[in-house]
Amino acid sequence: MSNDSRPKTFLIVLIPLLSLIGCGDGGERTFAALPAFCQEVMRDMDRFLGSFEDPADGRYGGTAVVGGIGEIPGGMNSLVSADHGAAQHQIFVNQMTLIRFDEAYDPEPYLARAWDVNEEETEVTFHLRDDVFWHDGHKTTAYDVEFTYRRATDPETGFPNAAFWAHYVPGPDGIEVVDSFTVKLEMRPHAEALDPWRALAIMPRHLLEDVPPGELRQHPFGERCSVGNGPFRFVEHRSDESWAFERNPAFPEELGGPPFLGRYVYRVVPEPSTLLTDLLTESVDLYLQPTADQFPRIEDAEHLRLLTFPFRDYVFAAWNSRRRQLEDPRVRRAIAHGVNRAQIVEAILGGSGSVANTGVPPFHWAYDEEAVDALPYDPERARELLEEAGWVDRDGDGIREDADGVRMELSVRYNTGNQERQEIAEIMQSQLRRVGIEVRPRAMEWATLVSEITDAERRDFDGFILAWVTEFKVDDTDLFHSSNSSAPYGWAGLEDEEVDRLLEQLQVTVDREDALPLWEAYQQRILELQPFTYIYFRERGAGLNERLRDVHMDARGEWVTISQWWIPEEERTGRPLVARSP
Amino acid sequence: MIGYVLRRVGGAVPLVLGVATIVFFVMNLAPGDPSSLYAGPGVSPQALEEVRQNMGLDAPVHVRYIRWMGAMAQGDFGHSLARGQPVRDVIRDLLPNTLLLSGTALALAFLAGILIGVLQAVRHNTWIDSSLSGASLFFYSIPSFWLALMLILVFSLYARNVWGWPVHFPASGMTSVDHAWMTPWEQVKDRAMHLVLPATSLALVLAGGIARYTRTSMLEVIHQDYIRTARAKGLPEWRVIAGHALRNALIPVVTVFGLYLPLLFSGTVFVETVFAWPGMGKLVVDAIGQRDYPVVMAGALVFAVMVVVGNLIADVLYSVVDPRIRHG
Repeated sequence: MSNDSRPKTFLIVLIPLLSLIGCGDGGERTFAALPAFCQEVMRDMDRFLGSFEDPADGRYGGTAVVGGIGEIPGGMNSLVSADHGAAQHQIFVNQMTLIRFDEAYDPEPYLARAWDVNEEETEVTFHLRDDVFWHDGHKTTAYDVEFTYRRATDPETGFPNAAFWAHYVPGPDGIEVVDSFTVKLEMRPHAEALDPWRALAIMPRHLLEDVPPGELRQHPFGERCSVGNGPFRFVEHRSDESWAFERNPAFPEELGGPPFLGRYVYRVVPEPSTLLTDLLTESVDLYLQPTADQFPRIEDAEHLRLLTFPFRDYVFAAWNSRRRQLEDPRVRRAIAHGVNRAQIVEAILGGSGSVANTGVPPFHWAYDEEAVDALPYDPERARELLEEAGWVDRDGDGIREDADGVRMELSVRYNTGNQERQEIAEIMQSQLRRVGIEVRPRAMEWATLVSEITDAERRDFDGFILAWVTEFKVDDTDLFHSSNSSAPYGWAGLEDEEVDRLLEQLQVTVDREDALPLWEAYQQRILELQPFTYIYFRERGAGLNERLRDVHMDARGEWVTISQWWIPEEERTGRPLVARSP
Repeated sequence: MIGYVLRRVGGAVPLVLGVATIVFFVMNLAPGDPSSLYAGPGVSPQALEEVRQNMGLDAPVHVRYIRWMGAMAQGDFGHSLARGQPVRDVIRDLLPNTLLLSGTALALAFLAGILIGVLQAVRHNTWIDSSLSGASLFFYSIPSFWLALMLILVFSLYARNVWGWPVHFPASGMTSVDHAWMTPWEQVKDRAMHLVLPATSLALVLAGGIARYTRTSMLEVIHQDYIRTARAKGLPEWRVIAGHALRNALIPVVTVFGLYLPLLFSGTVFVETVFAWPGMGKLVVDAIGQRDYPVVMAGALVFAVMVVVGNLIADVLYSVVDPRIRHG
């Protein structure tokens, strides 16, 4: 027996380890690991964009690192992605939309330099810029718009935002290419008819035309080698780790020219505490959506600044009006009176938010100021309403019953792991108990919750707490129109003629002046019926390292001004980025 | 020996298939349907049906099972429902990361655990023994995600921002953002620096247990007659311990190697999440939440294979440390 075999054993373990550590990337771009489609387009992009000179202005250059807790599901493929972060990268970073919103949320030209709508509001014609190139050198034309529209309206694609096209004529009949840079669409009059063209990034026809619509979801384009036409070109995506983009030197001067940043990296850091550490130790420059309890840490740090801005998502408790306990609107109003929502905003958001009363966000032109105090915290009023509706504590246990002895007991679901919603459910439980309603909070795994509430045949719930993001075009038809009460999102089961009539009218009222009274009436009606207890609109936050300049965020999104972000030369960290040979 | 390995591999095939089958049916029993998670509001029932068809979810469970088995036999794991990419590509990206992390953690854990255990046995009933016992019990009992957060707090945040230490470690990721522009040597260093905290937080938890096994086993061996003989021969003490005692004491510790692999992989789930280490643990847990069946299935298979292989390695190591055990 010799002692020699022991060191050998350790070597067996160590050799593969060392070899893994050693496998660096090298300085040159290699595409060998990519699918064949990607190898070709990546080379084309390097070739085309490599032929442009970098501008001399001192603001150009540097790398900005943005950290978020989630991946970007669906990536840069606007035809299949349903995620907020994905949409933001498509419309502000990698690709372009026909129009964009200015700071007052009014449409302004982007890929389309102009548009006109005919008098009857049944036709819109977009005139496209003729100086926008895809990052591989092809020009962006009206045919790309036509292609994108056809795919997005083709049911085979499974486009997730089908509601975009409610006022358009789907398929090839709805769109006509007039010439290479002019495209005409048929539509029905609507208040926010152009909104889809702000939200949908145009996709390159020359690369994706031959892909069957049903296979777009699986195509490597979105995740591995996106070819866009926006201010940043795609460089690399590492699953669950990072996305890297670099300046598009060919971006048109008239639209602001190439962005200042040389490179923009989005990093996935799933644990909020780790991400906060990364921000504090300057490994990331911008931390998106920190939790409210992290706000003070960010504000206290010398080199950091906390940005907050109102956003379009609200948290609500939905009530199933098909249930005996919840069928009377007075009961649902009593719930709203019985919960101190202002206190919830203070306790959970640390005040960075506002009480919601309907789904119309505070910055929206149709927001009804008068609705603000419509349902104040008033336990006495809550008790009266319950009493009127016939719910009285008959057995003296503190919980009300109706004449048949049904207890006012509500199980309220939320998704496991969501601290915020759990706290809301618990606050509701303690406050509603005081008015004689027993709330039983119940945590459920996300996918199970979604299937229980959207399965129209079961609808096996009393209530649940969820968040909803509206577009700028607020349209509650999916939620509250009676024709949708057995569709997946008809959670509340609302069937009200006036709500139906208002929702229908709102859709076709183009003039905002005319629409305002309708909006007011609609919001009042929703306050009365209370299909949901709206809880709050949250302000979104972001932790920013001050070396990254000119970062502005608003309800349009986090990345809206990314082309103007810049880092003074003396504050750049890391190695200077040397252009790599293609 | 080769015959033995082949027989063991052959025996593992039904085991791995059994695991895959159970996971497949358990996943499909859970309520929830991926198509409803990926379709937005306003989607027509027709479009939803198209999405289900695109995802291959329209067939009954047993048909899907047979299809999946057939595809897998040809090495086709299908496409991830959530990511759209071939599952093979996703795993090819993430598996090496998990192997690197867990391999390093395992090596560190055994190295540290054995050293500590031996030291304790040699200094039996001294303050060194009792304080190391306390420490290893501490690390053995604490959850690894908590330890991970504490390591970040101390060695990334405080070390850099409060105490200004010359060395501090990155809290997240596998490489720096400017990794591609580094020299090869800097790249190795960069990766190693990123590996320190995640590997340590996994290793510390395991090392505590290994140290306790080693200590007990060492104490037993140290009082055997052949150790006294070795000492009587006049061998230096380190040769007695390292050459004669340790080798025999390691036999039960090797068993622990096989047992610890599943523990290690479940630990990676938390550690990968905390340190933003893109790996298999987090992939599979996310995929379960998203009802991304193909990824869950492939991930379960990969983990099953790794555990089987780990146990095989343990068995082979037996014969290395103990010549009496020879597999014919």
